[in-house]
Amino acid sequence: MIEIEHLTKRYGTNVVVDDVSFTVEEGTLTVIVGTSGAGKSTLLRMINRLVEPSAGRVFIDGEDTRAIPEDELRHRIGYVIQGYGLFPHRDVAANIATVPRLLGWERRKIAQRVDELLDLFQLDPAEFAHKFPHELSGGQQQRVGVARALAARPSLLLMDEPFGALDAVIRSKAQDDLLAIQRRLGTTIVLVTHDMNEAFHLGDRIAVMDQARLLQHATPAEMLMHPADDFVERLVGTAERPFRLLSLAKVQDAIEPGEAMGEPVAISDSLHDALSRLMWTGRDALPVADARGVILGKVSVGGILQHGRPLP
Amino acid sequence: MRLASLVRLISLLLLVAFIAMPQAFAFAFEPLVTPGAPAIYNQGSLFSLTLQHLRTVCLATIASTILAVSLGIFVTRPSGGEFLPLSRSLVNIGQTFPPIAVLAIAVPLVGFGEKPTFIALFLYGLLPIFENTLTGLTQVPTQAMEAARGMGMNTWQRLSQVELPLAFPVILAGIRLSVIISLGTATIGSTVAAKGLGEVIIAGLQSNNIAFVLQGGLVVALLAVLIHDGLGLIERAAARKLGRFVDEVS
Amino acid sequence: MVPPRPALSLDHLGCVIAILIGVALFAAPFATYRATRIASGDSRLLIEALPIAMGAVVALVALTIAVGAALMRDPLGRLGSAVIGLAVLLPSLGLSAGYLTPADNTFARVSPSVGFWLLALSFSLLAIDALARMRLGPYGRIAALLVGLIALALLLFSGIWDDLSILKEYRTRSDTFWREARQHLFLAFGSMAAACAVGIPLGIAGHRLKTLRTALLQGLGIVQTIPSIALFGLLMAPLGAIAASVPLAAALGIKGIGAAPAFIALFLYALFPIVANTIAGLSQVPAAAVDAARGMGMSARQKLVQVEMPLAFPVILAGIRIVLVQNLGLATVAALIGGGGFGTFVFQGIGQTAIDLVLLGAIPTVILSFAASIVLDALVELAKGALA
Repeated sequence: MIEIEHLTKRYGTNVVVDDVSFTVEEGTLTVIVGTSGAGKSTLLRMINRLVEPSAGRVFIDGEDTRAIPEDELRHRIGYVIQGYGLFPHRDVAANIATVPRLLGWERRKIAQRVDELLDLFQLDPAEFAHKFPHELSGGQQQRVGVARALAARPSLLLMDEPFGALDAVIRSKAQDDLLAIQRRLGTTIVLVTHDMNEAFHLGDRIAVMDQARLLQHATPAEMLMHPADDFVERLVGTAERPFRLLSLAKVQDAIEPGEAMGEPVAISDSLHDALSRLMWTGRDALPVADARGVILGKVSVGGILQHGRPLP
Repeated sequence: MRLASLVRLISLLLLVAFIAMPQAFAFAFEPLVTPGAPAIYNQGSLFSLTLQHLRTVCLATIASTILAVSLGIFVTRPSGGEFLPLSRSLVNIGQTFPPIAVLAIAVPLVGFGEKPTFIALFLYGLLPIFENTLTGLTQVPTQAMEAARGMGMNTWQRLSQVELPLAFPVILAGIRLSVIISLGTATIGSTVAAKGLGEVIIAGLQSNNIAFVLQGGLVVALLAVLIHDGLGLIERAAARKLGRFVDEVS
Repeated sequence: MVPPRPALSLDHLGCVIAILIGVALFAAPFATYRATRIASGDSRLLIEALPIAMGAVVALVALTIAVGAALMRDPLGRLGSAVIGLAVLLPSLGLSAGYLTPADNTFARVSPSVGFWLLALSFSLLAIDALARMRLGPYGRIAALLVGLIALALLLFSGIWDDLSILKEYRTRSDTFWREARQHLFLAFGSMAAACAVGIPLGIAGHRLKTLRTALLQGLGIVQTIPSIALFGLLMAPLGAIAASVPLAAALGIKGIGAAPAFIALFLYALFPIVANTIAGLSQVPAAAVDAARGMGMSARQKLVQVEMPLAFPVILAGIRIVLVQNLGLATVAALIGGGGFGTFVFQGIGQTAIDLVLLGAIPTVILSFAASIVLDALVELAKGALA
């Protein structure tokens, strides 16, 4: 758990982060979103003390970060930046091994950990371990960057625009991969982005920043239904709101008893996906199946649409 | 590539054979000299002169490398930042000094012999290495430095594990330039009585023996080309590892 | 963004300069006195080298500047104090020479010593640092150079330095000095012009033909690595042979020893930067511009003259800058094979252990290359600016 209390950063008279407080629960993914210059990167960098706060404190699992020596703190926190900052003079394995080596792990243990991470990120160790960063594609570099940050099993991972350098197709795949790995490892993640779609796609909770201040910290659904102010409402995108809500809800939430004709939709699909299937096939309802293919009921256009508006 | 290696090997063998047993090549130089004059340098062993030449260059280059790299590191740290603009200008100005002038000015200060040569080689050798150290250290990608800090590397770890390895090919290019300049300046050092291959050339100029001049010139030229080429190979290998494109010629 | 400095703080560079000034004033001799031009020298401290009042003025000015340097960061202030320092120091050297030389003694020699050089170095460092921080534009730099050169000329023509040893060396060989100066300039500029005449067309050809490009760059690159004296030596043999077998060549002054091998060696050295920069300049011409030129129906020649060459010009000019500075320095070595130039004095001086004679050759060389590099750097910047 990370508790951020009244964090403030001033450069001279210029306030870059103004009295920000929120809490990140263990094992969740929090996205800090805002326009450029809103102070989100500075906020992130105050968590691992790359930027020293002018005021306020950060607690990680109850421990004040000021009490931990800077370098030791950073060994314990994974850090991924836009462009990844892979070391061009080290091969993939050595890049991933950076923090374990700084920590003085045994050679064998490091090698084992590197192989484990390469497997986790679907990079064949035999092929990739001894490649140099310039020999990798953008997507591969990104995976190595995240693998490097996770090498010493940090309980917290900070990511600053980690998908910013990827093209659209690779980006959504990389986002899904990150979610899968996060569910699997249970790592707490704080991620900075300026992309609202990314925030809704990834975040368990979203923190919206503007002009150095934290405007709202809430779950995606709360933020859609009760935006804190006009700025958040505009950022969320008024026209997009129903569709975002549908993306957040699952078919399970709208399942009705009864039968319908056609190819079944999966119970774990989002309502957004189910609605597009309905529209595309021109039907009013489709059957719902679970992972084994057992038909559980149906989902209808009317039922779905009820989820695309705020609850009364 | 294979042809180039073959040429390198043959040049090296020729050079070694020539300095080890110059008399065997006398036939090639005889047409150049007036009858009766020696065709092969006879006032000392070419082999030991070559070794002394290389020794002076090598010592001076090591000394300049140590000082220039340290200075380069110092002025790129926050504490040395106040010296950065001045040191850049000094390097620019220093390079307009011809090496011979440095050599000539050193003589009155320390006398004749190896010392002025060493000082000139040392001082002049500093410039390219310092300049390249600066370039190398300042062009380290900021993202790599940010990542290094973010992973908790301390100042020393960042310098030794990230900055210097990344700057290495550029620093090496500076050392190569410095060695080549030194090889030439050391030749002129013989005018102030430093032991080296310049002796052969100067003896030739004094006794009007073109064969001597040619021998000295050939050995120095071959040495320079081979060393330049050899260091260039290492440099390219280092740069290729970093994925940097290196011009095949420079 | 940077936290304001406390009002009174020490500047690191300033402190180093202040220490240099201190050493120069109190621990190093200001001038050297010799009974004859090659006799061993006798060191004189500042207080001994000048009349008391004058010495005190120099010391006071230098100390004030030392304190100022350590405390003051403002570039204009630094430049001002450095200029004042040099304005006091340089004439005082001439006064010292007059003061130390006994009346009517034409053999005695006075030359600057460590203390003077350190003071001159300290003030120059201060000025260079200030100029570097002021980031002067091209015109500003040329103006600063002109001011410096005019000041130097004034010092020389005012006669205030006439008692200095180096000027005595000059007076005994003023004819040869100007002859060697012309020879030096001829070698440096002549070989540069020849290299441009040959190198630019070669570069254009190399830009078009890849095989020629590789061969040119590799061949000329090897020439670059050959030490100058070795190359002079290597050229002497064939030129000597030509002179011996072709009477016309000998009549034209081509000999194994002399200006011809020096000129050819400088020319060969100069080719690489010219060819390489012409190729680099042409290859960085935006493809879109070339495409547009072809699209408008320009012939190959029109495209080259009207589009490619003007766009490549700054890079070619940068090559010329490298060549000129390199040639001005290398021409010094030409004297070793009888090619003349300022090197003549340097090598004569080394032969006679007469440092002032060495300086008589070395200082003009350094000033020439320094001025050439400033002027050409400024021109390169202006040429780039004209395209931007």
